[in-house]
Amino acid sequence: MAQELRASRCPRCRRLVVPPASLCPDHPVKMEAAVLPPLGEVVSFTTLHSPPEGFRAPLHLALVELEGGARLFCHGTATDGVKIGSRVSVEAVDSVFYFSNMGFTDRARLFWRRAGARGERVAAIGKSVVKGVWNRRPRGQDQD
Amino acid sequence: MTRFGRRNEDLPDLMAEAALATMTDAGVEHPAALVVAAMNPEEFTGEGNYGSLLGTRLGLSRVPAIRVETATSSGAAAVYTAYAAIAAGLHRSILVVGGEKMSHMATPRASEIIGRSIDAHERGYGTTMPALAGLITRALMHRRGVTLREISQVAVKNHAQGARNPFAHFQEPVKLEAVMESRLVADPLRLFHCCPISDGAAALLLTSDPAGSPRRVRITGIGQGADTIAVRYRSDLTTFAATQAAAQAAYRMAGYGPERVEVAEIHDAFTPFELISLEDTGLVPPGKAGRATLDGETAVGGRLPVNPSGGLKARGHPLAATGISQLVELTWQLRGTAEGRQVPARVGLAQSIGGLATNNWVTLVEARR
Repeated sequence: MAQELRASRCPRCRRLVVPPASLCPDHPVKMEAAVLPPLGEVVSFTTLHSPPEGFRAPLHLALVELEGGARLFCHGTATDGVKIGSRVSVEAVDSVFYFSNMGFTDRARLFWRRAGARGERVAAIGKSVVKGVWNRRPRGQDQD
Repeated sequence: MTRFGRRNEDLPDLMAEAALATMTDAGVEHPAALVVAAMNPEEFTGEGNYGSLLGTRLGLSRVPAIRVETATSSGAAAVYTAYAAIAAGLHRSILVVGGEKMSHMATPRASEIIGRSIDAHERGYGTTMPALAGLITRALMHRRGVTLREISQVAVKNHAQGARNPFAHFQEPVKLEAVMESRLVADPLRLFHCCPISDGAAALLLTSDPAGSPRRVRITGIGQGADTIAVRYRSDLTTFAATQAAAQAAYRMAGYGPERVEVAEIHDAFTPFELISLEDTGLVPPGKAGRATLDGETAVGGRLPVNPSGGLKARGHPLAATGISQLVELTWQLRGTAEGRQVPARVGLAQSIGGLATNNWVTLVEARR
């Protein structure tokens, strides 16, 4: 799995931002260093057909929400198969974030790591398989 | 205001054209102060110090002048600044002028300069205004069920209305199929969902003189709302908190709500933004703006005419001129002089978006009894 991502947390409102920032966007308060697992969900994505200078067309962009609510922009090699709500892994290459679709193994690892008690791990892996199937269905009313 | 579109004049000349027309209309030769809006004339035209530059060009070199900038809502910000100065009793009449000149540049270069209003980190990923609007449009379709047909019908409506406005950049109607099949800019956003790059200027004269002519209209509410410059710091892409805050402030000041509004000028830089903004201002109930558009409710002749001028989509979007031109259009509508596109209305609402909805305004205007 890719490396954890450096973030900042506001000591007052607990808000997380990526990349790290000195002050919270909502409070003039110094933020604390935090790290986040490089896994998240696609909030939205687009393909830019006339990108600005220095970028090659087509430029695939996604806004990804990590656990804890921090969102970040990522580049991708393609958006085929990507949907809003797709689980993706995020990797920083030369401080540029890239997203890629998570395979079964990534998802299983994620749920393994998330599950606390030993007994729950098996159930969590099971859930990740169900969630993989579930994610292929269109999703409804939840907030992005 | 000047005709919007590709113009050969330089920016000071466009601003002077708009200013002189307004001063003649108002019967005022010497306003007490000047507020100038220009988003980025330094990079677009190579000139700065625009308050003084325009004052001298207009023959008002001894009139105190300031320049106001809040990205693409700079024009509305200038009106707000002038309103505040008059309300504070600093001056009795202020000339507000805004404009931009960009069509002499190649489109990628102009887009890059407009994109300076995006958060630097996000810009580092190649995000432009259309890219962010594309992300928002996809989220809007997925979360709120807005359709390609609905966002395309906004363009059809606004082009049809712009075709009846001699000041509009685009004078031709467009067909729904042409919009839906225009080339992809930032998937799912297509070319005909985006406003053009326009030159032009607009001006208003604000006065506290109560003995004014009946041709004047009254600003009854004006409100500003702000949001994070970084889009990644926001928890919802499908509404603009800055518009909601601005609308609340404007309604509170006016002492009434959206139910009294009979005509609106909305910031449709990208056609889905018209749908978002109609709901953010409370003019249309949540989730209903797309349907209302398809049903013709928001067209001239409908229940609530929206963008009778053609909006940013068809009138054009010379950045700092836009917020002022919305109020010019509402003034004409409330006076009953919007020939060819007149709607019956006593109360109008203008909504202006700065940057990617980081600094927005809502202004309410009323015909004088």
